[in-house]
Amino acid sequence: MSWLASIGRFAGFCFAVARANAFRMPPPGRTIEEAYRIGVQSLPVLLTISVFVGTNLSLQGYNAFQPMGGQRLVGMFVALAGVRELAPIIAAAMVAAKAGTEMASQIAVMRTREQIDALEVMAVNPLWWLVTPRLLGIILVMPALTILAIFTTIAASWLVATAQLGLNGTDFLDYVRGSIHARDLVACEIKGMLFGVVICLVSCYCGFQSSKGPEGVGQATNAAVVVSSVTCVSLNFLISQVLYGG
Amino acid sequence: MTDSTTLDGGAPPIELRHVSKQFPTSGGGSLVVLDDVSLTMPRGQTTAVIGPSGTGKSVLLKHIVGLLRPDSGEVRVFGVDMATAPEKRVYEVRKRVGMLFQDGALFDSLSTGDNIAFPLARHRSDLTAKERRERVEHVLEMVELPGLYNRPTSALSGGQRKRVGLARAIVTEPELVLFDEPNSGLDPMTSDAIDALIVSMKEKLHVTFVVISHDIVGTLNVADRICMLYAGKVVANGTTAEVTHSDHPMVRRFLGRNLVLPEPGDPAMATLPHIG
Repeated sequence: MSWLASIGRFAGFCFAVARANAFRMPPPGRTIEEAYRIGVQSLPVLLTISVFVGTNLSLQGYNAFQPMGGQRLVGMFVALAGVRELAPIIAAAMVAAKAGTEMASQIAVMRTREQIDALEVMAVNPLWWLVTPRLLGIILVMPALTILAIFTTIAASWLVATAQLGLNGTDFLDYVRGSIHARDLVACEIKGMLFGVVICLVSCYCGFQSSKGPEGVGQATNAAVVVSSVTCVSLNFLISQVLYGG
Repeated sequence: MTDSTTLDGGAPPIELRHVSKQFPTSGGGSLVVLDDVSLTMPRGQTTAVIGPSGTGKSVLLKHIVGLLRPDSGEVRVFGVDMATAPEKRVYEVRKRVGMLFQDGALFDSLSTGDNIAFPLARHRSDLTAKERRERVEHVLEMVELPGLYNRPTSALSGGQRKRVGLARAIVTEPELVLFDEPNSGLDPMTSDAIDALIVSMKEKLHVTFVVISHDIVGTLNVADRICMLYAGKVVANGTTAEVTHSDHPMVRRFLGRNLVLPEPGDPAMATLPHIG
């Protein structure tokens, strides 16, 4: 039942974050700083992963459809798998791996070095000071990162489809356009924001709950990336079930 | 020796009434860290809380600033019960308190000057950036670190970190300053320098100081009053002269720097609470 107790403690943490922010402005200047940091940190690795996911989607789509003579459907395959599902999850995984782990480890180190106690003693609510800017920052950048992941995945797929597999580029893009609707992009953006909220709250929670010392910092960092990734993937399944489950 | 009373007749800055605190242990039991502690720390004086490691000194300090809540009893700071007061009230009290943490607890992402300016930037919106800077430079001079405003905290030595922590603790001109092991991890010369700084701060600021320490020499240098904790209980509390002349066996052992714990059957054991 320890997982149930952990969920209860996490819910309490989320409530405390909400309470710390009730009727007050976020710390001035820090939201943009955090948004910039999260975005810049995650962007290179996100683009790299998106490129290679895109290339492989094209290759595997081609291998699946070519024996049936349906190689023109590669564009549709890339759009459905890449845009609807993989791009938001890739963005979430990379942000969890880069920004999430940094959030958890920074807060855990601050806890070890009594800097969080120092904030309390200086009459500054640590949840407001440390969690709020990160939460708002990640909500601001996740939609942009998700869109970038989408376009990078499609561009890399298109490149492999035309340059390596010899498919018609216009056909490819027509199938992509025909398979993706505005509501898919809106769903991706909402997924991105939700994943961002999950990553930030889970990572900050792991940092705040860490035991003191280097081992505690390591455990908090590890827990942050594992729990937030698993939660995002599960959430992605639920959202896709609601939107596309029939 | 009895609990001290206030010097000016007002509410004492710190008053603990029958405070008890225990923590669960990994074996399923509990460890009593504070056991029915009652204590008053008078205004304008330096009270040193001494005792061997693990006797509840830092836990006591965390109760005073409201970072921990007692299982029973009351911790009143400026008359406010830190355990039951609403958060806003607790924060109002904390604005009147400065604290030096063991390792300084400086923020790594900020420069030395920005660390010191942090509480001013948060709570003194009436000050301009120039006034804040002047005030920070003034306290840097007070702690004998002039010209270090822009130095990264990673480039500070252990003694300098303590001084910067002290500068941050006093920059808002608090009425109460708490020191958590100000000499820990320092060489004897730097330790003496920190003690001298505490004495000089007290003379300049005329505020109430509480010093948590297990360093006897340092304590005798800075304290007006001494409270000794052992196994979560107050075993001595009074003026420095009263405590140093105490015939309590644990006090004698501690002041004699003989930290060997009494054997079962030793009369000193009868004065100690059970830990379990």
